[in-house]
Amino acid sequence: MRTPISYFLIVSGMLFAIGTVGVLVRKNALVIFMAVELQLNAVNLSLVAFSRMHNNLNGQVMAFFSMVVAAAEVVVGLAIIVTIYRRRQSASVDDANVLRG
Amino acid sequence: MPLDNLVFWVFAPICVGSALAMILQRNAVHAALLLVVNFFTISVFYLVLGASFLFAVQIIVYAGAIMVLFLFVIMLLGVDRDEPLVERIRGQRALGVTLGVGIFLELFFAVRAGIGFATRAPASFDRVANEGGNPVALSRVLFRDYFFPFEVTSVLLIVAAVAVMVLASRQRRAITRAEVERAAAQSPARETAPDPAP
Amino acid sequence: MFDLAWLIPALPLAGAVLNLFAGRRLGSRAGWVASALVAASFAVAVAVLIDLVALPGEERRHAVRLFEWIAAGAFRVEATILLDPLSMTMTLVVTGVGALIHVYAVGYLENDPRVGLFFSYFNLFVFFMLMLVLADNYLVLYLGWEGVGLCSYLLIGFWHDRPVAASAAKKAFVTTRIGDAAMMLGLVLIFVHLGTLDFETVLGPEAGALSNGAATAIALLLLAGAVGKSAQLPLHVWLPDAMEGPTPVSALIHAATMVTAGVYLIVRSHPLFEASDIALTVVLVVGLLSAIYAALASIGQFDVKRALAYSTMSQIGFMFFAAGMGFYAGAMLLLVAHAFYKALLFLTSGNVMHGLHDETDLRAMGGLRSEMPVSTAWFGIGALALAGVPPLAGFFAKDHIVNFASQSGRATAWVLASIAAFISAVYISRPLFLVFFGRRRTEARAHEAPWRMHAPLAVLAAGAVTSGLVLGLQAEGGLLERFLEPVTGAAHGTGTGPSEAVLIAVSIVIAVAGVAVAWWIWGSERVDWQSFPERQPELAGWLSNAFYLNALYSWLVRAPGLGFGRGLRVVDDRVVDGAANELGVAVTRSSRLAPILQSGLVRSYALAFLLGAVVLLLFMGLRF
Repeated sequence: MRTPISYFLIVSGMLFAIGTVGVLVRKNALVIFMAVELQLNAVNLSLVAFSRMHNNLNGQVMAFFSMVVAAAEVVVGLAIIVTIYRRRQSASVDDANVLRG
Repeated sequence: MPLDNLVFWVFAPICVGSALAMILQRNAVHAALLLVVNFFTISVFYLVLGASFLFAVQIIVYAGAIMVLFLFVIMLLGVDRDEPLVERIRGQRALGVTLGVGIFLELFFAVRAGIGFATRAPASFDRVANEGGNPVALSRVLFRDYFFPFEVTSVLLIVAAVAVMVLASRQRRAITRAEVERAAAQSPARETAPDPAP
Repeated sequence: MFDLAWLIPALPLAGAVLNLFAGRRLGSRAGWVASALVAASFAVAVAVLIDLVALPGEERRHAVRLFEWIAAGAFRVEATILLDPLSMTMTLVVTGVGALIHVYAVGYLENDPRVGLFFSYFNLFVFFMLMLVLADNYLVLYLGWEGVGLCSYLLIGFWHDRPVAASAAKKAFVTTRIGDAAMMLGLVLIFVHLGTLDFETVLGPEAGALSNGAATAIALLLLAGAVGKSAQLPLHVWLPDAMEGPTPVSALIHAATMVTAGVYLIVRSHPLFEASDIALTVVLVVGLLSAIYAALASIGQFDVKRALAYSTMSQIGFMFFAAGMGFYAGAMLLLVAHAFYKALLFLTSGNVMHGLHDETDLRAMGGLRSEMPVSTAWFGIGALALAGVPPLAGFFAKDHIVNFASQSGRATAWVLASIAAFISAVYISRPLFLVFFGRRRTEARAHEAPWRMHAPLAVLAAGAVTSGLVLGLQAEGGLLERFLEPVTGAAHGTGTGPSEAVLIAVSIVIAVAGVAVAWWIWGSERVDWQSFPERQPELAGWLSNAFYLNALYSWLVRAPGLGFGRGLRVVDDRVVDGAANELGVAVTRSSRLAPILQSGLVRSYALAFLLGAVVLLLFMGLRF
């Protein structure tokens, strides 16, 4: 492979930054959650790139586990969002400000 | 230009572009779909990087399971309506964008200082790491060196499934007196009590 | 008898304590007990005197150690009584005249419900005065000094439900306090320079070893204390107001004894004053100015006791004048004579007030001779004695002083002193004529005082008549002067100026002329003195308000004092309270800022910790 590894890392960085902005700027809980998934994927990408660079598979294994955990997390997170939606009839995170004080 | 370079330069813009577009979409469904596109491009990157197993798993798990789940919930909750554009918190957008840019710059300079822009991957990856093909090599590492974490993640998945079942079930709970009075106040004309919910 | 000398102050102290606790039960007998104790003290003093005189002249100095008072490192003070001619003279005056005034007070205050407390204070005063004059070191003297100040305050304000009396007591205390504070500084300086406060050391040969600066400082500070206690310029303003107290108080404290404490202090400390080149001159000037000022002020007073108060100030001015010339024996002679005739004058005016139901205004009296003949005689004796008519006591005392001025070469001082003597004769004859002679200006029927109030007056009158003859007949080397010589040293005139006979003749002429002038203005009907305030309101105002010094002090001290007080109050309210309140307000305000951070919005929190993450990354990136 002739592409420098850093290119992948730059892409990964961009994706991570975009995901961060998405978490901060969006109000819909689901979209925020999706942005978090974007961040996770960015990290996975960089893990795999490093694995390629270091010439072993540890990075790929880590990325694999990350995916598993992300799946579990998505499941639980969506369940929570659904529960909150049922209570409040709104999916906007701004409306969940009961801890205001 | 070598093939992987070409692939990279084709898919990288798609990747970043779809990510950007995702966060800028007002419609949640559109955002989800754009994210799927993004996952596809990432899986292609995995392939280029020699992680063919992850390429497959990414598509199956992320794009196929996780995003489907997302879309189910979006549709279920009826939040496919457009999100309002007004930002209530002062300075949130500006600061958010600034910080995002800041993070990117930090990572950029970290990469430059760390490995530089010229480092290429060693050519021996396919022979050394991916010996026997990527799935075989990966499973060799996974089931030998990382066996214990593997089992733990399986437990984790079960726990997650149970948790979801608990969270999502509607519990019958005692109807409070306040709710009874509220119901009575809302419909004073009724002479008989309403039927209990099924 | 020296071993029993401690009884002299102890007996009045016992009386004070007794009357304090048992006064109410004793009732009117309290006065007799108090008088008896003071009289007993006098008897002991006489016995001590006899023993003292038995010693040869130079050895007439016996110290009786009572107990060790302060032992603090290098600072040791013992409570010691000194029995020497000077202290015995003062002791005899204090106890003798004191006993007589006590007896008078029994009759004067017989109807007062708090008579027991009065005699407790009275005895306490005698105790402190005795400690003052019998002290063998400056600290015991200061104890007595402060004590008599306290008793003066208690007694002036004895009728404390009268606001005038209460404020007069306060004024007396505060004004003398200024002098007392200076005196304390003087005592400190004495200790610093001489290492001890004992008279034997301080007033011995080492006094001459003091530097001029140190001696001047010490002397002037002690003088300040004396000026305050003796009501000389400029700390005199409390004495006229102190007349609000009962008349026996005015007689004992503010005529015969306490106000003369300043003179005693100067005479006792004369080695310190002589070690400085200007201190004695200052004493002289203060005395002379006070004498003239007070004499003029006395003429303008319409309250008989205030007139007598200014008279006291003037006479003490003469004593200071004498001391300032180095003629200490002369000052002491005047002190003794003054004790007799001033007490006599005060107590007789007490008779008049008693007879006219507490009237003190001279304009409401007149022609009382017919109803109070005995009192007339007493007042006449006292007035003539003060005026300096021979052969009464004042003549000898004042004459010696005035003549000494001339004989010691101080011509200007002699002239001024003679003028003061003339005015003295005028001012003291004025109340004599206004009260007892002339036309009656009051409808009230005056009655004479009972015999037991006359008895002490008789003794005082006898003293006023004879003391001059007995003690000071000779110009130099009179009985008192020779007696005091071991302590005071001999004072000699230089023999310049007019001869003795001329000087005596001048004195007599001045005295008689003064009485005559007073007769002409106030005794005969020829001068319309009653309309004088209307005809010459300014001059009358200056005289009756004692040249407005009181008002000046008021303006100088009270107004800034009140202003300062108000300023401090503003500081207290705004700065101190303000700071405390502002602290609370600031806390409240800042705590209102806190909830702004707790918006409950997840995105804000996310922003916050992302910010932290970025900063952290930056920090780590820069480090590596």
